[in-house]
Amino acid sequence: MATVKINGKEITIDDGTLILDAAKTAGFDIPTMCFHARLSKLASCRVCLVEIVGQKKLQPSCVTPVMHGMEVLTESPVVKSARSSMIELLLANHPLDCPVCDKGGECELQDITFKFGPRQSPFGDNKRRFNEEDYILSPVIVQNANRCIQCKRCVRICAETVGVGVLGSIERGAKTGETSFVREYLDCDHCGNCIEVCPVGSLMSRSYRYKSRPWDLKGVDTVCVYCGTGCQLTVQARKDEVVRVISKPEEGINNETLCARGRYGYSFINSIDRLLVPMVRMGNTLEPTTWEDAVRAVRNGLSEAINKGKKIGGIASSRLSNEELYLFQKLMRGVLKTNNIDSGSRWDTAAVKTYAEIMELSKGGLSIYDALNTDTLLILGFGISDENPVTDYIIRRISGNKKMNIIMASPRGMKLDNSAVLSIRHNPGTEGVIIGGILKLIYDKNINSLKNLGGKDYLKDLSKEKVSDITKTAWQDIEAASGYIMASNTITVAVGSDVLRVPSRIEFLRMLIEALRILGKDVKLFPLFDRSNQRGALEMGVHPDILPGYNFIDGDGLGADGIIDAASRGEVGALYLAGEDILSDFPDGVFAREALRQTKFLVVQDILPTETTEFADVILPGSSHAEKDGTFTNGERRIQLVRKAIEPLGGKADWETICLVAKALGIKNMEYSSPSEIWDELAGLAPMFAGVNHKKLEPDGIQWPCPDIDHPGTAIMYTEKFNRPNGKALFNFREHIASAEVPDDKYPLILSTGRRRQHYNNGSMTRRSNAIFNQWPEESLELNPFDARRFNIKDSEKVLASSRRGEMEVKVHVTDRVQPGITFLAFHNRDALTNLLTNDALDPVCKIPEYKSCAIKIEKLNGHK
Amino acid sequence: MNELSTDNHKNSSSLSIKDLLKKVFFIDLIQGLFITFNYTFTKTITERYPDDEKWIPYKRFRGLHTLNRNKEGKELCVGCELCQKSCPTQCITVIPMEDKTGKGIADRIAYRWEINLLRCMFCGLCEDACPTEALKLGREYELASFSMQRQIRSKEELIKPQPIPVEFEGGVIVRATLEKGDKEIKVKPDLSVQKRWW
Repeated sequence: MATVKINGKEITIDDGTLILDAAKTAGFDIPTMCFHARLSKLASCRVCLVEIVGQKKLQPSCVTPVMHGMEVLTESPVVKSARSSMIELLLANHPLDCPVCDKGGECELQDITFKFGPRQSPFGDNKRRFNEEDYILSPVIVQNANRCIQCKRCVRICAETVGVGVLGSIERGAKTGETSFVREYLDCDHCGNCIEVCPVGSLMSRSYRYKSRPWDLKGVDTVCVYCGTGCQLTVQARKDEVVRVISKPEEGINNETLCARGRYGYSFINSIDRLLVPMVRMGNTLEPTTWEDAVRAVRNGLSEAINKGKKIGGIASSRLSNEELYLFQKLMRGVLKTNNIDSGSRWDTAAVKTYAEIMELSKGGLSIYDALNTDTLLILGFGISDENPVTDYIIRRISGNKKMNIIMASPRGMKLDNSAVLSIRHNPGTEGVIIGGILKLIYDKNINSLKNLGGKDYLKDLSKEKVSDITKTAWQDIEAASGYIMASNTITVAVGSDVLRVPSRIEFLRMLIEALRILGKDVKLFPLFDRSNQRGALEMGVHPDILPGYNFIDGDGLGADGIIDAASRGEVGALYLAGEDILSDFPDGVFAREALRQTKFLVVQDILPTETTEFADVILPGSSHAEKDGTFTNGERRIQLVRKAIEPLGGKADWETICLVAKALGIKNMEYSSPSEIWDELAGLAPMFAGVNHKKLEPDGIQWPCPDIDHPGTAIMYTEKFNRPNGKALFNFREHIASAEVPDDKYPLILSTGRRRQHYNNGSMTRRSNAIFNQWPEESLELNPFDARRFNIKDSEKVLASSRRGEMEVKVHVTDRVQPGITFLAFHNRDALTNLLTNDALDPVCKIPEYKSCAIKIEKLNGHK
Repeated sequence: MNELSTDNHKNSSSLSIKDLLKKVFFIDLIQGLFITFNYTFTKTITERYPDDEKWIPYKRFRGLHTLNRNKEGKELCVGCELCQKSCPTQCITVIPMEDKTGKGIADRIAYRWEINLLRCMFCGLCEDACPTEALKLGREYELASFSMQRQIRSKEELIKPQPIPVEFEGGVIVRATLEKGDKEIKVKPDLSVQKRWW
């Protein structure tokens, strides 16, 4: 502890605290320009100079730590005049075009000039000019280098947090200008974090360019809808039109960073083709109608299905809020008396249940910052840089400042590989075997300590050759991984949803966790979710085997795949899809299309027209996340408020619609005045939410469990035992099953599908944003350079890709992100109906559609007839 | 009141010869007409507004807003929204846009510039706030119209030059003609004929 005097006020503070922070604690604000709390310190602007008694020269407070007995003056005449001259110098070359600058009104330079700056400038020379006109740096960034004040925040955030490092400065001294290298069009994440940290209007957003002024905008703090990271952001609207999304520096787990989807994926909210009026099918066409008629049609359809004794299914999107998901499951279970309810369509019920058990979801979990307080981080089964970009940023930022081993295991290369000590490339769908290999090595070295390890018999026939053969991974990599794990005391295992597609080997993970715990290591588990409220959906009971609050049941309900399967046999009388575009999401599009055709009555509640809405009998307009109140639960079980920025464009929020349907079915106890009331009802049902209410969730949300109203929530949870009454895991082991389709001479390549950084699921939301669409306008097939040579195919060439089920023309993108023999295609683009190519073989036990593996061949177009 | 009326009655009932003669020869009328006749040779203090004449205000007058162009004909408004911000009655709406055609002096111009004259109190703060001198309060003051909608004036109309040029000194009455339109009544001034011929 150090005792320092700041402007005569004595405070005691930790050693090593910066003077800047100490002064803030003492109640004195020091202006800064180049300083950014979560970036490396540069101290180049010299605006934060302070006087230290006894030292001749003024010191920058943003890099000088306090020392015991130090006396600091932040408001002395010397400091004031120095500060004012520094601002004068910043303004010497800064153009005074504030009226046309997009930053005007929220510019940091403007603010400090008004507060501390000189009121006149003696400099009469011409100002430095790099370019006469603003130039376009990337699909989302416009640059005006003349306004740059060389704080290098953009350069630092790009290199340190985002990890692409495409920004830099050219020239030296007074001529320094920040830009992309050789002023080229940027090929980066297009996340816009450089725009966010720019204190002046040098980097500007293209989509917000000249749209508004900051004081015109009405913003609400809400939660991003695109992935399970749960970033807090501010949606700003000008008169019912959302014009931009920003993030606040000190709020949420993301702390000012957002990804491209979060920052630019808002255009769908005010898209011209939003579904605004309810529609009912009359013959072959969908006719607009009133809410009353539409709800009556829903009631008639559902009652008919009940009367005929047909199955009723409900699939809700995990983009809906907790309250809506709760109401949805209440409608399905309580009113329609069915357990056929699921969220999303890519996972199977049993697999999710297993995953929930292994990752100890019902027990809670860690916050991301606790999870990263570790020696080794093993990331498995998740394209983290593409699916949860902000989690990727957080990991990179944290791991850059401390000793930490990151081990990545994924079939496809990604950005975080640069920060990893070891990246393991393996065949799609063999995550479990990789874990098995690591476990085998650990087990062999510690046979004595691991005598009681459950399921150890399964390791016997897992040989080195077998692992290498299945995964196509070098054994040295697996050895290295086990070495890193054994050398660490704390290990965080972050597992994503890809593992769920191959649940037959997921038990190895359970064994690995148990083995490490037996060996006295601290194992932290961190689930990664790809959808904003995936965890909320499980907690709200939108799953056939889970009731609200993780009450596991062994019901007879069908999951999404089960429902579609039943529908294809004509057993489903009515299907209610809330925000779910099953045709784009379902692995086999042809099969799903047939299933929807066989469904007697299909209700689709969605915000945008999708392929699925074309099959609907009734369309109920949904509401986007900016049009309703509610809560989302992110991957680290933090319940965060979603707030209304604009009124629902369709007239009703999703929860109101569900209540209307329930009311039409004659249910009395489903009338609520606000989502807060729904939450209170739910909190009464699940003890872990008992102390949570909407008011308490401000500003950063609460991590459950929160058993009573005075409880602050639980940030860190340490779980020693498995979530089973006897403290031992139940094993349900399944041997590795080779993919239904393995590449052969005729179809020599493996096609894997997944997501891109820019897009989300079926892309119905992200493709409506020009800023995002420009980044990835056309889907292309990723091909390894080795294969490209083998088939004599050039980059950007159009080829004909065909599988045993279908064929499509597609552009080729030659990249080493994919391994030789493997190709990759995302499922976001309607034009590239990837799903036609994939395999509908269900995993024999878990009924997970094979998503990753399908054999294809590619042929040159010009040689093809 | 009653007393007064009885007095009048008394006076009227007792007419003298002199009064009678005055009545017969219209002396009062002639006296009155003489005063009127005298006034025909003095300076006129009334205006024949709106039929023939119209007063042109001084330069400092704050009337209907006008949006200016520079000498090259480019729009001076850069859509900075400062007028909107400074407006105490919040009657101005500005929506900017990016302009790549070179219509304005900067690449930012106003996509919409609207003023609600029903709310405007002609304080001129918007004019003070304007950084490019694009916005001026002009000298047009005939704002009556047949519909409320007409009171919301947009950029397209305001950017047309007003009938009175900026250089014109004002403070004079000029010849004018009354024009009745469908939407409003306007008095069109003819600045070349100033009605001060004596």
